[in-house]
Amino acid sequence: MSTNTNVHISLAQAKLLVEYIESDQQTKANELIAEIQSPINSELFEEIGKLTRQLHDSLNNFQIDERLNDLATADIPDAKERLNFVISHTEEAANKTMDAVEAIFPVVDGIQKQISTVNPMWQKLMHNDLDVVEFKALCQDIDVLLKTTEKESSKIHRLMTDVLMAQDFQDLTGQVIRKVIDLVREVEESLIYMLTAFGMSSEKNKSDQPPKVGENLVEGPIINSENRQDIVSGQDDVDDLLSSLGF
Amino acid sequence: MFSPEGVLDKNMKVLVVDDFSTMRRIIKNLLRDLGFTNISEADDGNTALPMLKDGNFDFVVTDWNMPGMQGIDLLKAIRADSNLSHIPVLMVTAEAKKEQIIMAAQAGVNGYIVKPFTAATLNTKLDKIFERLG
Repeated sequence: MSTNTNVHISLAQAKLLVEYIESDQQTKANELIAEIQSPINSELFEEIGKLTRQLHDSLNNFQIDERLNDLATADIPDAKERLNFVISHTEEAANKTMDAVEAIFPVVDGIQKQISTVNPMWQKLMHNDLDVVEFKALCQDIDVLLKTTEKESSKIHRLMTDVLMAQDFQDLTGQVIRKVIDLVREVEESLIYMLTAFGMSSEKNKSDQPPKVGENLVEGPIINSENRQDIVSGQDDVDDLLSSLGF
Repeated sequence: MFSPEGVLDKNMKVLVVDDFSTMRRIIKNLLRDLGFTNISEADDGNTALPMLKDGNFDFVVTDWNMPGMQGIDLLKAIRADSNLSHIPVLMVTAEAKKEQIIMAAQAGVNGYIVKPFTAATLNTKLDKIFERLG
């Protein structure tokens, strides 16, 4: 072993060395001398020490990050409730709208029916082809038609107002969904932070691949249709595809 | 399914399969508007299949993505059952991947409509399906 002139020995090390020699522990004394003479090792130890501290701090920060805990135990369950609220409110709105529309259909059909009853006589009148008896009957029919139309149009108006009011879900669900989007963004940031803390790049593993058939076959409505090559853009596309298959 | 004159029998028994009651209601309303009066509902393939087996249905309109048995599996089950295999199946779904449409075609679907759809589209597809079968 070459002599290192820059050797620095601390008082503690010197005392320890004397103690080893006095108690006849030659091996330990030799190890201590080697340690004192080899600053490379101590630098390495120092570096390891630094890393250990960093790891310790990171792990501590990780535990201290209560936000993460809140996200998992409170915010995400809350978001699920919010999204269920959206489902139930949009469903309710759709049903309210359809209630009104289904109530309007027979009303309109009824008016249409009365009009088609009146129409032949009316056409006769327009062509000066109506006798007095028929004219009286026509007047009677038109009187009924006017009365029903008046009554039924106010009913239609009321039902249309119901349809209008059923659209108030958009405002409420919009606000709720915006909150959930904020939460998703926060979770995304936490995940990226986690990846960075573990030395993984979030960019590196970014996948542009659309889900493959088989592994994620059922996808629901396509949101980003303009970026996708594997989907049809509408009914015309479906028809073209099917006819190309001989349908 | 057809009267001797070749006119579509509007009394045919139709089964509408969709997990969302609102969508079933929309389709039912549209079918009613086209003159169909004999319409039943099921909320997925598992509910639909036993209904089909003892129900003498003439026509099935089904969604694809449903909990329980999905539409594509219902279609395959219908085609695999000799008592049901003749029933025309129209798929009305948000699933828009080309592979899926090809898969449905290979499984023997009679028509494929992507959501969102219009009343006119439904009408055209129905005409086409029954024109072919007639």
